[in-house]
Amino acid sequence: MSEITLVVNGEQRALSVAAETTLLELLRAQCNLTGAKLGCDVGDCGACTVIVDGEAVNACLMLAVQADGRNVVTIEGLAGRARLHPLQEAFEACGSLQCGFCGPGMILSAKALLDAAPDPSAAEIRDALAGNLCRCTGYTKLIEAVQAAGETIRAAATGPRRAAGQE
Amino acid sequence: MRAFEVFRAQNRSQALALLGEHAPHAAVLAGGTDLLVEVKHGMRAPRVLVDITPVGELGVIELTAQGLSIGALATHSAIMRSALVREHCPALVEAAHTIGAVQTRNLGTLGGNLVTAVPSLDSGPAPLALDAFASIAAPDGMREVAIADFFLAPRRTVLRTGELLCALVIPSASLGKPTAFLKFGLRKGQALALVNVAASLRIAHGVMCEARIGLGAVAPTLIRALDAERILDAQPPSEALFAEAGRIAADEARPITDFRASAAYRRELIRVLTQRALALALARAGGKR
Ligand SMILES: Cc1cc2nc3c(=O)[nH]c(=O)nc-3n(C[C@H](O)[C@H](O)[C@H](O)COP(=O)(O)OP(=O)(O)OC[C@H]3O[C@@H](n4cnc5c(N)ncnc54)[C@H](O)[C@@H]3O)c2cc1C
Ligand code: FES
Ligand code: FES
Repeated sequence: MSEITLVVNGEQRALSVAAETTLLELLRAQCNLTGAKLGCDVGDCGACTVIVDGEAVNACLMLAVQADGRNVVTIEGLAGRARLHPLQEAFEACGSLQCGFCGPGMILSAKALLDAAPDPSAAEIRDALAGNLCRCTGYTKLIEAVQAAGETIRAAATGPRRAAGQE
Repeated sequence: MRAFEVFRAQNRSQALALLGEHAPHAAVLAGGTDLLVEVKHGMRAPRVLVDITPVGELGVIELTAQGLSIGALATHSAIMRSALVREHCPALVEAAHTIGAVQTRNLGTLGGNLVTAVPSLDSGPAPLALDAFASIAAPDGMREVAIADFFLAPRRTVLRTGELLCALVIPSASLGKPTAFLKFGLRKGQALALVNVAASLRIAHGVMCEARIGLGAVAPTLIRALDAERILDAQPPSEALFAEAGRIAADEARPITDFRASAAYRRELIRVLTQRALALALARAGGKR
């Protein structure tokens, strides 16, 4: 067993892990964060996607020991107390999900994209979501939701500046 | 997953020492996107993994006296973002972008791609067309091997037990050389190449020189289409000549039939993609004149 410390959704955690434990197993079994899903377990489906140090990765292909000292964000870390993350609101408003199994991974891939490029083209959104398979929706409403969330986030970012200009 | 031990190397000499200590039961772990899949599928059962991801020096991308050195640990995403690679070897950026999807590109490394050495590896053709070489650390010192000699068979390279791939070097003479990379898969995202090709060439006094054609997924290892390259030498560029080069490259290759495509279909792809890659490289040469 190895001792590791990492930040999960803003909270510092010290954990004891077996060498062959993946980050996905660590999150689900030891942190009780079951938002990241086990789909294929080999990198193909994206259901296990989480954000590590700002980048979307397949949690099924990273060993837990490799997450030592790093910052991990899962779907549980997105919503604030008062409201959902703009991506979660947009996914709901656009009716983007059906069974929802792909949702956490899909939303985290979209978040990594919007954090880096708040105004992505449709092609950039498709590229960012290419590693997230959805068996239900046909993808169109997922892409619309990412565009809508981008607008919300951009409006929130420019809002205060405009208000300051009006003073 | 089968049980194994993991040792996290903090620097290069520690990585080499750990590999030496645990040979022949040790495997290098980088992004894990090939190795962990193989372990999960039971294809490999190393008792010890030497995790090299903490070794920062192995991920550096820099210009050196020899050329552009891309550390083995550079992820495909880091290559896509690198201003140096974009400026000096944009075909490597094009190739990196076709690998898997974002999540895999954020984990998967150039070194892991080269060392796994499947015939369809997408990081291979462009370095082949740019006369790149691999910089390898052995327990008794460094050695360099041309990428053209690096691959021995499917999933086999010149790396010996206990050796570490440190960097891929694109030699100074090849920096800025007009190059194009094209890949054809069954889908746009998350698809292995049925055929991939990189072509590079220079134009001097109206004729072509230093033409290179690197092909993947068309033989047990990556190949250069040497006969096709030869007919281009010292000739003025033309569509007819590129079409002929495509036909010759298709003859030189030894594609197989598998569940993704037939050998005949792959030959047709080689012909068309080689021709297109040459035309694209020429267009890029035009922009530079
Ligand atoms: C969903 C998915 C899609 C993919 N799509 C593509 C694709 O489109 N095109 C493509 O080419 N590949 C693809 N791959 C394969 C894989 O992502 C790449 O080959 C990747 O670059 C491997 O790098 P890694 O760091 O993950 O290697 P690892 O899995 O860590 O290691 C791979 C092998 O290389 C050895 N190794 C790694 N680094 C070194 C080093 N520095 N020195 C010595 N040995 C070393 C390891 O021991 C192991 O044998 C895909 C994989 C997945 C899971
Ligand atoms: S469970 Fe990780 S990609 Fe499918
Ligand atoms: S909503 Fe069911 S898999 Fe995407």
